[in-house]
Amino acid sequence: MATRFLAAALVVGMLAGPGLAAEPARAPTVKAPNPPGPPKVSVTLLGETASVEPGASFWVGIRQRIAPGWHTYWTNPGDSGEPPTVDWALPAGWTAGPLVFPQPERMPVGPLMSYGYTDEVVLLTRVTSPAGLPTGGPVTLRGHAAWLVCEKICIPEEADVSLTIPVAAGKPAPGTGASAIEQARRAVPSPSPWPASLHATPEAVTVSVAAPGLRSDRIAEVLFFPGRWGVIDHAAPQEVTIGRDGITLRAARGLLPEGPAADLDGVLVIRERLDQGLASEAFAITAVAGSGPLLSLLAAIGLALAGGLILNLMPCVLPVLSIKALALVAHAEGSPGVTRRHGLAYTAGVLVCFAGLAGALLALRAGGAQIGWGFQLQSPLVVTVLAYVLFTLALSLSGLLVIGGRLTGVGQRLAARSGYAGSFFTGALATVAATPCTAPFMGAAMGFALTQPPAAALVVFEALGLGLALPFLALSLVPAWRRVLPRPGPWMARLSEALAFPLYASVAWLVWVVSRQAGPDGVALVLVGLLLIAFGAWLHRVAHGAAPRRRRVATGFALASAAVAIALAPLAAANPPATTPGAPAGAAWEPFSPARLAELRAQGKPVFVNFTAAWCITCLVNERVALRGPAVTEVFARHGVVYLKADWTSRSGEIASILGSFGRSGVPLYVVYPARAGRATAPEPRLLPQILSEGSIIEAFDKETL
Amino acid sequence: MSAELIGRRRFLARTGTGLVLAGTASSLLSTRPAWAAVAKVGEAAPGFTVNATNGSPVSLGSYNGKVVVLEWTNHDCPYVRKHYDSGNMQSLQREATGQGVVWLTVISSVEGTQGYVTPPQADELTMSRKAAPTAVLLDTKSVAGKLYGATNTPHMYVVDKTGTLVYAGAIDDRPTSRRADVPGANNYVRAALDAVAAGQPVKTPVTRAYGCTVKYS
Repeated sequence: MATRFLAAALVVGMLAGPGLAAEPARAPTVKAPNPPGPPKVSVTLLGETASVEPGASFWVGIRQRIAPGWHTYWTNPGDSGEPPTVDWALPAGWTAGPLVFPQPERMPVGPLMSYGYTDEVVLLTRVTSPAGLPTGGPVTLRGHAAWLVCEKICIPEEADVSLTIPVAAGKPAPGTGASAIEQARRAVPSPSPWPASLHATPEAVTVSVAAPGLRSDRIAEVLFFPGRWGVIDHAAPQEVTIGRDGITLRAARGLLPEGPAADLDGVLVIRERLDQGLASEAFAITAVAGSGPLLSLLAAIGLALAGGLILNLMPCVLPVLSIKALALVAHAEGSPGVTRRHGLAYTAGVLVCFAGLAGALLALRAGGAQIGWGFQLQSPLVVTVLAYVLFTLALSLSGLLVIGGRLTGVGQRLAARSGYAGSFFTGALATVAATPCTAPFMGAAMGFALTQPPAAALVVFEALGLGLALPFLALSLVPAWRRVLPRPGPWMARLSEALAFPLYASVAWLVWVVSRQAGPDGVALVLVGLLLIAFGAWLHRVAHGAAPRRRRVATGFALASAAVAIALAPLAAANPPATTPGAPAGAAWEPFSPARLAELRAQGKPVFVNFTAAWCITCLVNERVALRGPAVTEVFARHGVVYLKADWTSRSGEIASILGSFGRSGVPLYVVYPARAGRATAPEPRLLPQILSEGSIIEAFDKETL
Repeated sequence: MSAELIGRRRFLARTGTGLVLAGTASSLLSTRPAWAAVAKVGEAAPGFTVNATNGSPVSLGSYNGKVVVLEWTNHDCPYVRKHYDSGNMQSLQREATGQGVVWLTVISSVEGTQGYVTPPQADELTMSRKAAPTAVLLDTKSVAGKLYGATNTPHMYVVDKTGTLVYAGAIDDRPTSRRADVPGANNYVRAALDAVAAGQPVKTPVTRAYGCTVKYS
């Protein structure tokens, strides 16, 4: 193509020539389109391995060496330019994957922005050989690479590339391109561990990355490279905030009107400050459109209110609410003033309970806990207690448990002043029963509340509570609305009995939750607890119609069985499941302790210690890119390496002093303690680079044990 | 009394105008970053006056009632050359101007950069390439370029008879510099002109322009 291009340039030059010759005094010649000379980019095809096995996959790299001052482009070139392409011409049966691009740079060009590469870049492709490939002879992989290279002006260039590699059975040795390819792979964005969302206003686009617990003092820079044009104004500055809940990037909106309507793939680059300088970590993120937590406070209140209203229809709340509603029906002709006060007491119960819940949640979050709505269900103890409460309530609705008279009696008590406290506690009970449930709209409102200062968060929580209390409150405040209520009758008892079943269903669900948290033993204890409650309820009913002395005995037994059930709850919670489902793959590790390290060293065993922290981004990438790979697992197994993980998330002083002994003040730190292997004393520990690669770990152990 | 009334009216008119101007200015300043096009698809195409190669000023507003195509160009850009060497741009120009469309080729390269030409050089290029624009505008101060947010060469715009900007973006859907990609491409400008002629909305009104950066510096 380059030759075609030059030929075309010559044609234009010739065409332009005569016309310009007519005005020699005024016009200098129209310049030749491009400076002649050598290409601005030289490309080489690199192989990861020195040989290739039949039916194996390996990386090849297209290395671009770019002339100083010039640049080539990323997949999204930015405001102008074009990404490079490779057309493969592989032998029969061979396949090549798509081009994989390392993280790009931002390159301002006047008022515009380009995304691309300077100096040198290796673009990767995964190549797979056919299974029936005969060994012995060499194969040649060929491709035609084309790219645009720009300085101020742009030149399309192209070249044929090839790589000849012998076919041999057995594990191949690293090829000449191995280190360049490994370096490039380290710069390829890794899958994001964090969800992200996209939100747009007419002027700006916001990308929110839910990366909780990052430490802003460690982060030097955050950049976002959108994967496609039109959503974000490429050249606009990106306003970055790093908060407790993650990273928020705000930039001017791009030109495509419907741009932010679809999910946006892109690359998030975080430059993290390490002991040895800056590490630039790239993550491939998908910002999910329209799911941003960027509601206005008013919208969040509206959503919370709607969510609270819908919460009334959830299986755990509806039966509780029905108790109050049926009471209202039974007493529809009661004094409006009394009814109104009951409505207010119920609402107060709900609101106070919600305030308590919100307060606990906010206090725990302020203490650094990463929790959201539903946090209460993370404790098996709370789940067990909730199961007990809902079960007791269900028994009562079924008519198996008599608490101070049947429901029909509750209506009479409604009229009495003493019933106000009862209404208040029904409100509280409704709230407690509502906690395991999530209604539509609630998620968005709660998500927003947790990003707000406590006062605003509390307002949203109370809006949710008001929504929950609203139907009953409305009925009690407006007498006219009560006329739509059906007449009281025997149907009320049937309804309340029927409504016990949603509660039993809620209990079944809670038991399932316990099974996930505390395993089969926990479930057994919860079920025994439920059995005891049922037994206690039956005794209580027996006692109700018995002679005074027997009543006392029966009541005593009933209370005792309830007490045992309650005592079982913490026991159920104390049984963590034996295995965590879905544990990440990779080499097995054990937690680090100085004693364990000393013991292993005394035995002369090789040890690898990974000093890490949840807030350390480079640590995270190292684990994904290098430590979890099968090659490292294999090397650890081959040398009998014991892998210890030292978690510094909570910044323990013990680990800090060990870091200090290596002259470090932070993580990541990777220490290799070689095996004694016949020597009198074990060799000195070795430190691996903070930007870890599979190769560096493998080399460390393979060399030490020669 | 009446003199006082007129005075007050005049005062109100003046302060009103002042407020409107200040409001417009501040809204421009606050909502738009330093570099952002004023032109927006679906809104009135902003007017400009730029000298043509014959030295006479050309105003967009003077073409009111006519469909106008704006073509940003830089004759040395490989992407522009793709469309001129293949004859694609010239045939589109003839097709359009033949139907009464005004075709303005705009050169926003500043002096000393690629694509900058003097008026005689520009005319020479039109002749040698057998191009058929209505006029070639030399936007040496980048006024029109920045007003329209032209980022690439080629970068194409279509303004309909009512003066509304109805298309902004690429010439077609093959963002390469290969001439071989011209025949099979879907030409967005032709599609926009056809839609405007048929009185229909433009199906793809905004696309990513592809090519070389406009040489503003």
